[in-house]
Amino acid sequence: MPKVTYIAHDGSTSTAEVPVGENVMRGALYNGIDGIVGECGGGLSCATCHCYVDDAWTAAVGGPSSKDETDLLQAAASEVKPSSRLSCQIAMTDALDGLVVHLPEAQY
Amino acid sequence: MAIDAANPVFPNLPRAVGMDQVPPHVDKDLIRSLGITYSPEFLAAPHKFMADLHDRQPPLFYDVGMMGNAWQAIKHEDALFVLRHPEIFSNEAATPFPRDPDDYFYFIPQEIDPPHHRKYRNIVDPLFCPAGVAQLEGKIRKLANDLIDQFADKGEVEFTEMFGRPLPVMVFLDIMGLPQDMRDTFVSWAMELLHSNDRSRMQASMDAITAHLKGAIAEKKANPDDGVVSLIAHAQIDGRPLSDKEVFGFVCFLFIGGLDTVFATLNNIWLYLAQNPDKVREIIANPDNITAQVEELLRVWSVTFSGRILIKDHVMRGVQLKAGDRITCVLPACNFDPDVFPNPREVDFHRPRQTILAFTVGAHSCMGAHLARLEIRCALEEWLKRIPEFSVKPGAHTEYRPGGVVGPEAVPLVW
Repeated sequence: MPKVTYIAHDGSTSTAEVPVGENVMRGALYNGIDGIVGECGGGLSCATCHCYVDDAWTAAVGGPSSKDETDLLQAAASEVKPSSRLSCQIAMTDALDGLVVHLPEAQY
Repeated sequence: MAIDAANPVFPNLPRAVGMDQVPPHVDKDLIRSLGITYSPEFLAAPHKFMADLHDRQPPLFYDVGMMGNAWQAIKHEDALFVLRHPEIFSNEAATPFPRDPDDYFYFIPQEIDPPHHRKYRNIVDPLFCPAGVAQLEGKIRKLANDLIDQFADKGEVEFTEMFGRPLPVMVFLDIMGLPQDMRDTFVSWAMELLHSNDRSRMQASMDAITAHLKGAIAEKKANPDDGVVSLIAHAQIDGRPLSDKEVFGFVCFLFIGGLDTVFATLNNIWLYLAQNPDKVREIIANPDNITAQVEELLRVWSVTFSGRILIKDHVMRGVQLKAGDRITCVLPACNFDPDVFPNPREVDFHRPRQTILAFTVGAHSCMGAHLARLEIRCALEEWLKRIPEFSVKPGAHTEYRPGGVVGPEAVPLVW
């Protein structure tokens, strides 16, 4: 099963197995990883699953997948960077095995 | 106030009711008695009433009423803060449904604050997440068409009875694994609980719901199936099975939450569309924008409220709130906050995507939100394919149902 590494704002690192088809937000929630809130549950309604895709992975993951995601990122509590994504919109694939995401200081 | 969900204890947090019970720290200038959910002024046009609050009332005021006194938060920003800070604004005993102090249970996960809350949500999230509810799309579309078949060629229908009620309730009963032939009985219990505005009738309804659900849970324990009642009855957290009270509190909460809210939302939306044919044409002409259309309709036709109880003193907008005070986020009003939604009364299907409060925010965000959005989308698409032009029956007078889920009593349509 593909793995995702979540690096918290304080530098602490957690790695979780996330099934293909599941999203990166839910991978954190199911594994008790703090730093991703995901309060709306993946409904593109809250911007509380903000993450920064690691530089090595931005090409593979790509930018926001919809205008809604771009709009909502403007409401994110922490700085929005070119690597910013809402992690509920990153679906796991085998090609993303080993993905590294950095978590922002705050989600709201 | 850490909750042990397996061993519920009646919290005995008193509910202040009436002018005699206004605590002394409440500024007299902030006291109102608006009868939100039941006064004639509210019921004449509830959403207009709630939008008007921004012009007529302070952003935070203290309402005194027969269902209990509480601060009323109408600003979007304040609701986000309240709903995202459970360490100040707790959910314990914030749910207004009556329970027996000697056989107390918690509504799960609604009354469980983080971090334990997430353990319960993880049990059901696979079914209620966007990918989970997407499995139901075909079934919802077929059911919508089956219902429309019953009246499409008649040229008229009472929408709430023939479509608004049966569609979401039948989908919900199916997900739960509860019997369809109990549909109307379940709905009548939910109506008593949510709309009677009478504590003794609420209690009687709660007793009926309790007896039925306990029977259903016992049956699913003996004969597991793939419904949510069975899933919860057989679930484990932290390596232990859920206790009887956890199972009951979980099932009971979903039951109450699932029967009335999408029903009221559909009724509000169809009444609006029947009066606004230009918006109907816009929806039909822009099928690729359906997601934004649903979100905007949910913004202006939100149906419910979210209550919390303060467990520590807090100052908001310069107003002193104290531990023990109750506060209600007037979610439909928050969705009309002009600071967040410019020209808020205008239905605009091209607004930038923002956080709407139809489903609250925070840990307790509605788990049925994705199902609700899908049901509304499917209902709109299937209805407008079959009945693209419709209006309110001439001479019909719209009355709103009092209570904590805001919608019209009847929506008679003609085409």
